[in-house]
Amino acid sequence: MLEALKNTAKNAVGALLTEGADKASVSVYHTVTHEFNVDGGEFSLFRTLFDKKLVMECLKDGRKGTVSQNRYDDETIASEAKSCLGSAASAMQDDCWDFAPVTENEDFVQGELKPDTERLFLRCRELLADISARYPKILLEQAIFQHKETTSARANSNGVLFSEHKGCYEIMLMFSGHEGEKASSFFVSMASTPSLDKPFIELGSFADDLKNVEKQIESESVEGKFEGTMVLMPGCVRDLIGTLLMSFASDQGLLSGTSPWKDSLGEQVADERVTISLAPLDERIVCGKRVTGEDFRAENFDIIKEGRLNAFALSLYCANKLGLERGLNDSDSMIIAPGDKSLEEIIASIDRGIIVGRFSGGAPSSNGDFSGVAKNSFLIENGRLGPALSETMIAGNMAAMLKNLRAISKEQVADGSMVLPYMAFDGITVSGK
Amino acid sequence: MIKDLVTDKKHLFADNANTELRAQLNRSRTVVLVNGDLVNNVRSENFGVSARVYENGVYGFSSTAEYTDETVREVLKAASDNAAFMAKHAGRGKGTHPQMPDTARFTAHDIRDLEQRAYIDFAKAADAYIAEKHPDLLSRTVVAMADSSEKLIAVSNGADVHWLQPRSFLYVVLTAATPAGQPVELYDVIGGYGPFDSNFTEVSALHERIDRLYDKLRQKANGVYPDAGEKTVIFSGKLAGMLAHEAVGHTVEADLVIGGSVAGPNLNKRVGSELVNLVDFAHTAFGKPVPLPVYADDEGTEATDAVLIKDGILVGYMNNRETAERFNMTPTGNARAYLFSDEPLIRMRNTAVLPGSSKLEDMIASVEDGYYLIDTNNGQADTTGEFMYGVTFGYEIKKGKLGRAILDTTISGVAFDMLKTVDMISDSMTWVSSGMCGKKQPMTVSMGGPEIKCKVNIGGR
Repeated sequence: MLEALKNTAKNAVGALLTEGADKASVSVYHTVTHEFNVDGGEFSLFRTLFDKKLVMECLKDGRKGTVSQNRYDDETIASEAKSCLGSAASAMQDDCWDFAPVTENEDFVQGELKPDTERLFLRCRELLADISARYPKILLEQAIFQHKETTSARANSNGVLFSEHKGCYEIMLMFSGHEGEKASSFFVSMASTPSLDKPFIELGSFADDLKNVEKQIESESVEGKFEGTMVLMPGCVRDLIGTLLMSFASDQGLLSGTSPWKDSLGEQVADERVTISLAPLDERIVCGKRVTGEDFRAENFDIIKEGRLNAFALSLYCANKLGLERGLNDSDSMIIAPGDKSLEEIIASIDRGIIVGRFSGGAPSSNGDFSGVAKNSFLIENGRLGPALSETMIAGNMAAMLKNLRAISKEQVADGSMVLPYMAFDGITVSGK
Repeated sequence: MIKDLVTDKKHLFADNANTELRAQLNRSRTVVLVNGDLVNNVRSENFGVSARVYENGVYGFSSTAEYTDETVREVLKAASDNAAFMAKHAGRGKGTHPQMPDTARFTAHDIRDLEQRAYIDFAKAADAYIAEKHPDLLSRTVVAMADSSEKLIAVSNGADVHWLQPRSFLYVVLTAATPAGQPVELYDVIGGYGPFDSNFTEVSALHERIDRLYDKLRQKANGVYPDAGEKTVIFSGKLAGMLAHEAVGHTVEADLVIGGSVAGPNLNKRVGSELVNLVDFAHTAFGKPVPLPVYADDEGTEATDAVLIKDGILVGYMNNRETAERFNMTPTGNARAYLFSDEPLIRMRNTAVLPGSSKLEDMIASVEDGYYLIDTNNGQADTTGEFMYGVTFGYEIKKGKLGRAILDTTISGVAFDMLKTVDMISDSMTWVSSGMCGKKQPMTVSMGGPEIKCKVNIGGR
């Protein structure tokens, strides 16, 4: 399969060059997915999916075209090569487009390539039993248990030829707490694992998340409005910091010129305790990316290092356009360095604040202003955890927030896709009804 | 049109199961210009066949990107094997679904697939107009796009279906600076059902709308933060549509009701003022086609309107066949899948709050101190009915008159509490069909409504 895909990718590059492309890049994927679904606490569905994907890109006189299909037979490759060149012919000339140069080609293999379907089903059933026994007030609204095997090859006209073959298990749980007609907000928790060696309840933050949601059945709104400290649980760190990086450090914000960080490379943009990396090669990341979508070998890099803006997560095109360096990988494998205080110590240091499990809010403004509903949250008063909250909103500015860091926890959650601590920020507006 | 390799396989369907066999092609064409640079120029297609088998209360599903007589047989067998596995290990002791009418439903038109040049040239012309007319903008983004879906479905019980849905849109995103130099952004979406050349002919036809967006952005750049707290507001039709979809619609999807949503204990109870009526329309509303018509769903159920709230009382859910049996309701054609490799889920179609009899100017005049909230960029809701929307444009209302524009904010509320505060509904109607709903899979949906006066929480600074 692997050799056949590599040949297909090379042939498709050849087809683009034959049609007149100056440069060409092709990626080919074959995926097999086995998936069990649970709905309303009961098994509902077993799916097996066989899919393909072909992405062909060409440059002709500095004009770029891209086509994508989920077939890669010879006839499709030939017709798509014509379509790709046709698309490029209509584009504007822009010499910033390019593909990666060849370095050292490699074949990468990761994880458990073939699923043990019977054992996967037993692990799923075991998790349902564990939740039922340990968290009796939890209703599993939906759960998805999946093994995905991906075989892929990537080639370009500069001589790049990479392949990847990987298989891993992914678990998504969506649940809420219930007692009579009272209910908590729903919560979504996810984890990836390369094998079925551990019971699923031990993965990621499943146990903590289930415990917290059970405590959120009874909730109340904050009275009035106050400025205080916001502690983000790791899942919420992923959402908010991920959004911040997307707006401030990625193509769109930089290319449009709206990022508040556009002139801040090398400058202090966060508290010096903050180091944020994209690190798909870290051993705690399950089946992390080894090759970027632009044919480069993926390397770990720091976006923020000890509070300084170290690099942007830019595509090659955007980097060429702006005269900057490209990001060394295009993954979302975010790792934030731990702090030196325990979560308990951080909470004990807060007079008035809120600990937030999930943020439900609008997209932040270009300047970083954000506001939204604090879901799956608890009040913090006088150094202690208070009642669960509902109908409570939070507002602040993302750029200012990183400078107003109170603490980072020494605990980190590694769920297979990210490694994140709790983070506490001062100066957040909290308002109730 | 997709070649029919599914209808002649019906003799392979098992007698003791419900079976659906679906061939499907999704296309998308996208062009993105940022400050005049073409940063995205992509044509993509996704085509294949899937089968789903319902046996003993559980489902088996399989799909493949290969579409031949042989692979159609293979996915049918794989789905049957998967259903048998589930039936053995997790069966619920249920029989097949009740028999449904088997009238075939075919849509009449075809989808025109334009060359990429059509999208690029139109986007360039729109961008050139903006650059020349409004040179003081910080940035401009223009997106020209079209997507389409074609399905050919053969079912063991119900209507065989051939369904096509083309959509096309132009997105215009403008950014300007506030007097303090901070960027503010506003966007507009133009277009709807139909191929690109049906919705867009001359850019000059859009000049006035683009200029209006620019004027609103300038007002916003000089805008103020709203005060935080519970306020009297008037929702535009766009926000009312978001309310219908996010805050109410999701909670009354029957699978989420089973998952514990707030709609479970509230069936046949008052959830809104008697002015509130809410319907998920199938294909026709107020005597006209809705933005995204559905005539039959992916289970072969003929699509009819799902009446959800009538005179403030929650009267129904949206169902697939399985949940309709469970809740003793009539299925209305809400089981829809996005790609060939997706199984049908309970999804909304064209969900709307129905118009009332008030006039917008009277509604504004009745507000002593509040806000008129006009544009939104996203919305989310909880199974508890607690919702939030991002609001990107609106005005203060002071003593019955519109005041200053407001900066970006977020509003929130609890649907079945907030709907009880509705005391005026306008006689107009606005539909939005550019959105994608997210629920395991994306899905094309439309939403609509009139202006609504109510109370919500605003998250100011």
